[in-house]
Amino acid sequence: MAALYALLFAVSATLLFGIIYWIASQALLKQIQDALVREAASLADDQQAGGREELIRSIKERLAATDLPASYALLMDASGRKLAGNLDSMARVEGFSTVPFPAREGQGNDREEEAEHAVIVFGRNLPDGSYLLVGEDGYRIEEAKEAILRAFGWGMATTLLLAAGGGMLLSTGFLRRIDAINRTTRAIVAGNLSDRVPSRATNDELDQLAVNLNTMLDRIQLLMESLRQVSGDIAHDLRMPLQRLRQRLEGAKTKAYASPECDDVLELAINDTDNILSIFSAILSIAQVESGTRRAAFVAVDLSEVITTIADAYAPVAEDRGQTFTTEIVAGVNVRGDRALLTQMVANLVENAIRHCPAGVRIHLALEKSRIGAVEVSVSDTGPGIPRQEWQNVFKRFYRMDRSRSTSGSGLGLALVKAVADLHDVFIELSDEMPGLRIGLRFPPHP
Amino acid sequence: MVEDDLETAAYVSKGLKEHGHVVDHAAGGLYDVMIVDWMLPEVDGLALVKTVRGAGIKTPILFLTTRSGIDDRVEGLEAGGDDYLVKPFALLELLARVNALSRRPPLAEEATRLQVANLEIDLLARTASRDGRDLELKPMEFKLLEYLARNAGRVVTRSMLLEKVWEFHFDPQTNVVETNISRLRSKVDRGFTPELIHTVRGAGYSLRAPK
Repeated sequence: MAALYALLFAVSATLLFGIIYWIASQALLKQIQDALVREAASLADDQQAGGREELIRSIKERLAATDLPASYALLMDASGRKLAGNLDSMARVEGFSTVPFPAREGQGNDREEEAEHAVIVFGRNLPDGSYLLVGEDGYRIEEAKEAILRAFGWGMATTLLLAAGGGMLLSTGFLRRIDAINRTTRAIVAGNLSDRVPSRATNDELDQLAVNLNTMLDRIQLLMESLRQVSGDIAHDLRMPLQRLRQRLEGAKTKAYASPECDDVLELAINDTDNILSIFSAILSIAQVESGTRRAAFVAVDLSEVITTIADAYAPVAEDRGQTFTTEIVAGVNVRGDRALLTQMVANLVENAIRHCPAGVRIHLALEKSRIGAVEVSVSDTGPGIPRQEWQNVFKRFYRMDRSRSTSGSGLGLALVKAVADLHDVFIELSDEMPGLRIGLRFPPHP
Repeated sequence: MVEDDLETAAYVSKGLKEHGHVVDHAAGGLYDVMIVDWMLPEVDGLALVKTVRGAGIKTPILFLTTRSGIDDRVEGLEAGGDDYLVKPFALLELLARVNALSRRPPLAEEATRLQVANLEIDLLARTASRDGRDLELKPMEFKLLEYLARNAGRVVTRSMLLEKVWEFHFDPQTNVVETNISRLRSKVDRGFTPELIHTVRGAGYSLRAPK
């Protein structure tokens, strides 16, 4: 950013310098040219007033007057013979031209001096047929040009430095404020809903952005609070009548006149009530997990221990169903998260595999750590698998693959798996085992 | 019992009394177990527990909560609660947990062995034997047996086992508890007398020597 500004500045400054340089040198040239014309006119007048003798005298006077041989003059007669002046005879040219630097007696000229001291001359034919030439050393212009160049050189360097420095200061200041906003929003996404973006009272665009973001965050926090309030209220309000319903059903079961058939009906009714409640709890759990507030209570979790416990608990369950249960668990793997939720997430996947696969299938639970330290938990089975086009839908709430079959369970298990995975920044990857399905849970690298 | 809903209070009181407990509805004094409702109209259940613990009272406390329970459980346990139940609950569940909390006589935490009939459990070596024969239990099997033994003579529900033995704080969709109890039975009871691990219909399991 700073480089761009500096470049822009450099280009425009160069342009400006170029223009001034050109104008200045043109102006100086014009100045010299005007002076030469006046000089020639003055000398011509002298001739008119006092004849050739007067003119020659004037020329000698003028040339003698200057200390430096900056002025030049030449008077030639009609035949080209030099009458006066410090230049050699030359071809007649009317108007402006340049003449090379005349060699000083006894000295050779080096090229550079020649170029710098080229003489600007103005030639004019006089009425008596003679030719008058007046000239000025162009060195003055070259000197001025050099001075301007030098001035600009220094000025340019200084301003470039200032521009770069100033640009960097501006952009880092700018960048720092953007970074502050980024950091705050990241913290908010990570679950700290009460954080706010820092804003200074500068009232510039960046500040207005910060203020607007904060207002938006206030609103979001308010909505989340009211959502939790509502969820809490729903939980309380619905559970009260459900609790009473359940209590009454249990009470009815123990009544003296209850017959065995009545007993069974009541038992079923109680089970249904419990089912409603567990669906309800699951929805609330998922909502709570999704809100991200649980992140604030993350601790270090021994994932190896969690997976081992799950394996120990479910191996007999699978075996009783005629399934083979194998494991491959790396010891000492730690991750950051919520132990209860992580346990539930993996257990859900294992239970899913066990319940949806028939006998004879092999179920494999693994905890792996790659060479670069990436942790992955996976549950694979050699069962019927899930059709690829359904992979996206499988984690939605209440999803059931086979709508006609009413398996027990609410269809919320995988929705919770996804919610917990998202909370822990875990990436879920499904792959076709051909046959079967592999669900991989890839944990983010340890910071 | 500290519970604001009168119907629930009556229901729970009745149930507890029927099983031989003495219940006082929200009065002071020395008790064996405190049952505290999380959401009370005037007093915050959590604050109540913190106050009680702050006063040095060591009475076991069982929480009752109506929320989905994820946050509350950790908060409640950290405040000094010993166990918790989500409303609505089965009365038997409440009874089992209250019983477990009100151990009489209190089991010393430094106990190094447990014994029920001819079952001996060495808590330090983490081994168990019957009639002197080592049962060769796997670590989780031992943990399960230990929990049953610590509550010997009482009913432990499936949820209690899930929470305390496996630390599963969710409702499984498979018969995890039954299966593992069955595995444990085959090691602990098969080939030995008397039968120690019993299923209590509709309630849970119990480890005890039959009378």
